Amino acid sequence: MGPHGFAVLASFVIAVLLLILVDRLLRPGLCGLLEDVTGLPPATEFYLRTFLLVIVLVVLATVLGAQHADLKDGAHFMEYVWSVATGLQDMFQNLMIVLLVYAALITVLMASLRRKP
Amino acid sequence: MSNEHYLIVSYFVVGFVSLCLGLAAYSVLRRPFAAIAEAAGGLRGAVLKRTLALSLALAAVLGFLSVSYLDCNKGYDEIVKDRSYMNQINREQLQQAGNWIAFAVLAWGFIVVILLAVWRRKKQQEGSLE
Repeated sequence: MGPHGFAVLASFVIAVLLLILVDRLLRPGLCGLLEDVTGLPPATEFYLRTFLLVIVLVVLATVLGAQHADLKDGAHFMEYVWSVATGLQDMFQNLMIVLLVYAALITVLMASLRRKP
Repeated sequence: MSNEHYLIVSYFVVGFVSLCLGLAAYSVLRRPFAAIAEAAGGLRGAVLKRTLALSLALAAVLGFLSVSYLDCNKGYDEIVKDRSYMNQINREQLQQAGNWIAFAVLAWGFIVVILLAVWRRKKQQEGSLE
């Protein structure tokens, strides 16, 4: 495995850990909120699946697209760290954009489905 | 395998994988979406389901097609010589396919909000008639 392969593997492991963390942190609250707002179990399932699908696609797409072109054979440890960090910057940026759009989506959902007293 | 064969095979394999990615996303969302569409739209739910499948497949193919080998002012001969460039373009095609599918899924999330509002209104009207 070349230097590029190592960098992609390291980025992939970090991406999977990040996905598990985000999912664990947000899913329970999101599930309760969606059940309360929609009142339709398939809708809760749809939005939870949408959430997972979107974060998985965006994060893994960023890992795939990272170039790591700066790494040459015999690169030092910190050069690997910097290269992976550059890839992670794009990953966090895309994840943040997706989470903001998803938050906007849930806000629209809450505003349009709020129960009238 | 010569580089030219690799170029041809990898292009079509990545295109196929992109399409499969779109269809996989559809299969994840299919069941809950069908239930929502049926509750809100009745018989018209089938049309919405087909539209979801089509739009996710199109998004995947669009992402794949949005990356071109010829963008970096390289000629065909230069592209064929450079296998690492081919791999880079293949990865970019998969990345764009993933991004476009994610974008389409989020867009469908907004459409489902409208479907749920329709379902809620329908339910309220049925309640007031009873």
